[in-house]
Amino acid sequence: MHGRIGLVLLVAVAAAVWVLPSYYTGLLTQIGLYALVTIGLNLFMGYAGQVSLGQAAFFGIGAYASAALAVKLHVTPWAGMLAGALLAAFVAYVLSFVALRLRENLLALATLALGIVINVVFNQWEFIGGSSGFKDIPGFTLGAYTFDQRAYAVLAWALLVLGLWFAGNLVRSSFGRSLVAISAGELGAQALGVDAERLKRQTFVLSAVYAGVAGAVYASQQSYIDPSSFDFLLSVNFVLMSVIGGIRSLSGAVVGAAAVVALKQMLQATVPLVLPGARGDFQSFFFGIILIAMLIYLPRGITGRFAEARRA
Amino acid sequence: MMASVWQYILAGVVVGAIYALIAAGFVLIYQVTGLINFAQGEFAMIGAMTAASLAGAGMPTLAAAGIAVVAAAVTGALCYLLAIRPARAATGVTLIFITLGLDVALRGLGLFVWGTNPLSLNAFSGGTAVTIFGGVLPPQALWVLLTDVLVFGALYLFFRHTYTGTAVRAAVANPPIASTFGIPLRTFAFWSFVVAAAIGGLGGVVIAPITSATFDMGLTFGLAGFVAAVLGGLESLPGALVGGFVLGIIVKVAGGLLSTGWEDGVGFFILVLVLVLRPQGLLGRAVRRA
Repeated sequence: MHGRIGLVLLVAVAAAVWVLPSYYTGLLTQIGLYALVTIGLNLFMGYAGQVSLGQAAFFGIGAYASAALAVKLHVTPWAGMLAGALLAAFVAYVLSFVALRLRENLLALATLALGIVINVVFNQWEFIGGSSGFKDIPGFTLGAYTFDQRAYAVLAWALLVLGLWFAGNLVRSSFGRSLVAISAGELGAQALGVDAERLKRQTFVLSAVYAGVAGAVYASQQSYIDPSSFDFLLSVNFVLMSVIGGIRSLSGAVVGAAAVVALKQMLQATVPLVLPGARGDFQSFFFGIILIAMLIYLPRGITGRFAEARRA
Repeated sequence: MMASVWQYILAGVVVGAIYALIAAGFVLIYQVTGLINFAQGEFAMIGAMTAASLAGAGMPTLAAAGIAVVAAAVTGALCYLLAIRPARAATGVTLIFITLGLDVALRGLGLFVWGTNPLSLNAFSGGTAVTIFGGVLPPQALWVLLTDVLVFGALYLFFRHTYTGTAVRAAVANPPIASTFGIPLRTFAFWSFVVAAAIGGLGGVVIAPITSATFDMGLTFGLAGFVAAVLGGLESLPGALVGGFVLGIIVKVAGGLLSTGWEDGVGFFILVLVLVLRPQGLLGRAVRRA
């Protein structure tokens, strides 16, 4: 079902980019890429019942891998995307031996810390540009055609639809049901023969692949990245997207990403009118309040709410 | 070389004292409510920024410091009443996200109120720097260390020598049974937030003359306090004290020898090591797993 809705969305996006001003096309791309990251996060947090506060790091690894290959070695971003996904997967795989031994509070803490350590590495490693990052990152091409903003929106949403389709199949398979069993109780799941450790690891790695692919496209689309593009606040934003849309929901990832991107635009347009001095990441104030309010009043997110209404 | 390492160690002791205060706040809240409060560092930010802006407006430094600690405590009370208590029934991960929301909300609030420019605060007293074996400690560093002595001393006396403190320990040891004896768990949860916020705010105030105050200092201090608390085993106040100093020294020495940009990285690398190798903390005894 997700696949069919996804195809309709993709056609809608492909049509929309011809009429929308390029600024909004850029926002559509942003929504598509963030939603892709959030799908991975929802698999890991919503379905497997774990928590990651460092997802921006995998997004960053994808972006940096692709950008470094393209800028330093003139590798096409298509291969860079693959490399970004593989590197993010590899890092997640290695980290999983550390992080996934922990639960809840300490897992949250460890993923948060890992996210920040990786950001420090981005900042300190001069080979990948240090604090100034990469400029003039080459764009995607198809033959002689170099992608413009419209093409990036279509690419982002095509990847999103693919990601939704894959994740949709996954959660309906025995793999997905095992994940839900783990989130309900790891010991119980193990008693039923679920290899919890292995499944958690695979899901963590998969979430990193989603983030890595999105990051690689992001790097070429923006043509500029620096460490501040992948900081702690972005990880919090991913959590917010996940919670707003509904943490155990795949379509929720799209809803959440769209809501957060739209919200950010609205706040940036309206808040300075009321408070002329407002600068920097002041949206985080509202994002924090919204996150708390969602968790208290709508803990299953927007899509969870609709699902309840349908059942009732 | 050795002289500069000694100077890094002294600098580490000073920031470590602040990490210990913030870690104490974590431990208090974690012990009483079972909750890791990701917003803990923001109390230090509120304290530092309030004190610096009031003093900048002409208030005497000590009066500004006092008001700043009260402001942090009130913030802590509001956090508990508006965000934590309404979500009591929630499970672990939801509560983590709520305190995460508090963290970014408070940081955004700091940005609204004080803007992005760093504020400075005068040292609490004049006087000359103290020289210890050739290393230099500014007078404010002595205030920082004095604060640690007073706060940890007061906590020790409270938990060991007062009736209420004993009741809190009972509530920590076994909440359901403590509850049947009429120990008000929810009241304790409220006060754990207030006291943790006040201690964090105080930490922010006393360090502000050394590091200056910015709206985004909370995350750095909060996470460092966190690492210190985990080093100390997360459930012990003496552990928080030791953890704070150990972390402060390691971070400053490593930062001094590599480059200051690596300080955060080193701190969290240690966190990850401790979580994996010694989840019970440096001082804690291993708990046999079932």
